[in-house]
Amino acid sequence: MAQLKERPKPFLLPDYCKGCGRCISACAKGCITFDKEIDAATGYVPVVIDLETCNACGLCMDACPEPYGLRETPVDVDFELQDPAKLFGGKTTSAPEPVEIPNTLIPLPRTEPLVIKGNYASAIGALLAGCRHVFGYPITPSTEGAELMAKLLPKLDGTFLQAVSEVAAVNHMYGSGGAGYPCMTFTSSPGFSLMLEGVSYMIGAEVPGVFVNIMRGGPGLGNIAPEQSDVKLACRGLGHGNTHAITLMPSTPQEMLDLTMLAFELTFKYRSPVILLGDGYLGQMTGKVMLPDAMIKPGIPKWAVNGDANHRGNLISSIYLSEHDLEQHNIYLNDKYRQMAENESRCETFMADDAEILIIATNTPARASKGAVQDLRQQGVKAGLFRPITVWPFPVKQLAAILPHVKQMVVVEASNGQLEDEIRLALSNAGVTTLPAITNVRHFGGMLPQQTEVLAHVKAILAKEAR
Amino acid sequence: MSVFYDKFQRHSEGVGLKGNSTHYCPGCGHGLAHKYLAEAIAELGIQDNTVLVSPVGCSVFAYYYFDVGNTQAAHGRAAAVALGHKLSNPEANVISYQGDGDLASIGLAETVSAAQLGAPITVIFINNAIYGMTGGQMAPTSLMGQSTATSPDGRSMFNGQPMRMAELIAGLDGPVYVERVALFDAKNRRLAKKAIKKAVQCQVEGRGYAFIEVLAECPTHLKLSPEETEKWVKEQMVPVFPLGVKKDLAVDPWWKRPSPDFEPAHMLKAAGASSDAASRYCEAFPTHLNPLDISLKLAGSGGDGAQTAAMLIARAAINEGFDATHIPSYGPESRGGTSYADVHVAKDEVLNPASPHPDVLIAFNAPSLAKFGPTVVKGGTIVYDSSIVKDVPEGIDPSVKVVGAPFTEIAVDLGKAVVKNIVALGALQAATGLFPKETILAAVRQALKDKCALIPLNEEAFAWGVKAVEEGRK
Ligand code: SF4
Ligand code: SF4
Repeated sequence: MAQLKERPKPFLLPDYCKGCGRCISACAKGCITFDKEIDAATGYVPVVIDLETCNACGLCMDACPEPYGLRETPVDVDFELQDPAKLFGGKTTSAPEPVEIPNTLIPLPRTEPLVIKGNYASAIGALLAGCRHVFGYPITPSTEGAELMAKLLPKLDGTFLQAVSEVAAVNHMYGSGGAGYPCMTFTSSPGFSLMLEGVSYMIGAEVPGVFVNIMRGGPGLGNIAPEQSDVKLACRGLGHGNTHAITLMPSTPQEMLDLTMLAFELTFKYRSPVILLGDGYLGQMTGKVMLPDAMIKPGIPKWAVNGDANHRGNLISSIYLSEHDLEQHNIYLNDKYRQMAENESRCETFMADDAEILIIATNTPARASKGAVQDLRQQGVKAGLFRPITVWPFPVKQLAAILPHVKQMVVVEASNGQLEDEIRLALSNAGVTTLPAITNVRHFGGMLPQQTEVLAHVKAILAKEAR
Repeated sequence: MSVFYDKFQRHSEGVGLKGNSTHYCPGCGHGLAHKYLAEAIAELGIQDNTVLVSPVGCSVFAYYYFDVGNTQAAHGRAAAVALGHKLSNPEANVISYQGDGDLASIGLAETVSAAQLGAPITVIFINNAIYGMTGGQMAPTSLMGQSTATSPDGRSMFNGQPMRMAELIAGLDGPVYVERVALFDAKNRRLAKKAIKKAVQCQVEGRGYAFIEVLAECPTHLKLSPEETEKWVKEQMVPVFPLGVKKDLAVDPWWKRPSPDFEPAHMLKAAGASSDAASRYCEAFPTHLNPLDISLKLAGSGGDGAQTAAMLIARAAINEGFDATHIPSYGPESRGGTSYADVHVAKDEVLNPASPHPDVLIAFNAPSLAKFGPTVVKGGTIVYDSSIVKDVPEGIDPSVKVVGAPFTEIAVDLGKAVVKNIVALGALQAATGLFPKETILAAVRQALKDKCALIPLNEEAFAWGVKAVEEGRK
């Protein structure tokens, strides 16, 4: 058959030849041979092509591993010009500058309170915040959140994927969050441990995502009863590298909803994962939950790798090969952490204004402590509650402000002092060196400190003082 | 137009030769696979809608070269990342490009589960029988006898045998197209190019998951010349990893995902929210039980419906404008046949949701009464199922009001044993005056709004519970 169009013959700039020789054996006509000398620029011996007998079969070009190695002879190229910048152009990509598609706030009518479990409240909060992509691995006591999502998301044309493991789940989130979508997971302590590698990558690559961790008893498999012993993990141990993430600790089903919504706002605001820590009781607890007056329809951020022309130029990656670049990236992340600390430290106080005995607690133990404060006040004891809502960043300014009149701090927690460590570290970093006496009420292994225990502890302190 | 960047800006800032050369060693198979993938993307016209997931391994920097959306994944997790992306953004063409350590060792679970899920992603698997990036260690695909940095005396049975990934993946139900190709001669390169394009096309057409295993050359770590490496792949690898199509199903396009729904009415319906205000029947907080916060415990065995009854009390209290909480016992404890619920009803706010010392106990069986009866506060109330519990145990404070009613007997008489928890609520109402009858009945009706036919039976059960206490029936 007659060849109508002439096929292009190979062309090579020696600077882009690595001298592998794969083209030599590919050429049936023997047109290609090694050059005599090493190319000064590359240190490789390039090939030379004798086009005399070349029949433009193209097989050598298919055999060359280099994108800009053996290629079709370009038309309109001045063969004398060997400056690659001129030859291939200085532009790296034709992708446009990405445009941000903002979120839309959609008003909701007033509704009657829901009576739902904390885990459900969190799931509904996520849906209201615009999350339609949930990845999870079943683990007690957080599973109801995932189960509700599996039930509701298909009704809202969203996706719930039961991942093969928590390791996969966090990486599904890396893909989804990296594409600019609000996504989340429900997990519990052992599962959270498994996700930490991914969390480090998400922080490094600046990928948003919300982790709801309903903490259970540990270490190891421990049990499935409530504990608060992942505070250390969330505040000090988010995988490798210099990592931090905003960590919210709700104390009621209502807050499970509100803080989950806040978590989505913050995860996109800072382009960094946000963690919500609840104790097992909170996830299982049913209570009164009011819906907000608006829900969110998410847009697509500028930086997302969204698989469209607009975002084609984007990259999600945590790699910074040069030490200098990685240091700069860390400085940039540290600055982000500083901004989080400045803007997002949250707490609630209860009768703390003149408190001499300040109880510090989070989650369900904070509710028990609130009850204890009320009892103590009725008995004329100047007690108050300080409840960190963000345990990282720790609301240290707010705490330092009320410390001057505090004589005793009582840290109430279901862990071996993980919250207390955060308090001490935060105060120390803030330069608060004169501290009131610190005592504690602690439980581990699946029990939460009770109101009666807090009460008894404070009374014992008072009795000792009176002596 | 080429799908490679005009200049590799991300490769050392694109300065000098690196601006247009890859970081791969001379003769490395990665460059060829890159070229064929780039050509496939260009020929299919999907450059703008393609997302490439770069792995960890020698191809960690694939994002230096492809002018498409790029994501770089953790070691072994590329398929999981690709899947997360694809499920969120179904229109994008997502390609996971991975080496043997990444795909067949550390990421095996992610690889297999993504394949079995079958969502249309394209996986390009570069098998060169060795770890490149970390410096020539044994790969899951290293050959028997192959000497590597971590099998210096040659891979032995002690190291296990090479993984045949294409066969493994083809054995799953999820994938539609699986082929193993090679790069060592012109004919195989042509087949490789075709296969890669077809694998991407499977995704573009929404037909399903496709997997291409490419037997590639790593001259550096095989310590051979590029030409010798081609020969090694042909003579040593191919007998272990036979080339060819492993699976090619004629599947009609099926991948179609709707766009997420943000219709407020749908959202509210999903959340179970309603704007209809519940009627209120309570005139004041039942302070006779506790001035601020009434603590209740419901205890029984699995089928007693203690949790449902607890939920109804909480619902009723919230309808009346009070705060309420309910904590179930859960986990193995609940599977072991016991079922406890702690309920609080507070005037303003429940401070402590646990009920270690309840004001009111509802006991469905004798062990529950024995266990929790003594924890009831002075002056509190106990309501128990007198058809099950014959003797009230010791240890209950004498000030506690103990009321028996035949929950089970009444329920059985009504023809449905499961309504005994509603009988119990009737008894609770009569014994404590917690709420007006209508408050609890309204909550029952609300809970049964999708099963209206059951409402009369439940109302009757409630009424019998009330009557049993009022008439002192045991
Ligand atoms: S195949 Fe390409 S890089 Fe290798 S020798 Fe030939 S032209 Fe050079
Ligand atoms: S080490 Fe092997 S796989 Fe890695 S770039 Fe070099 S030749 Fe290619």
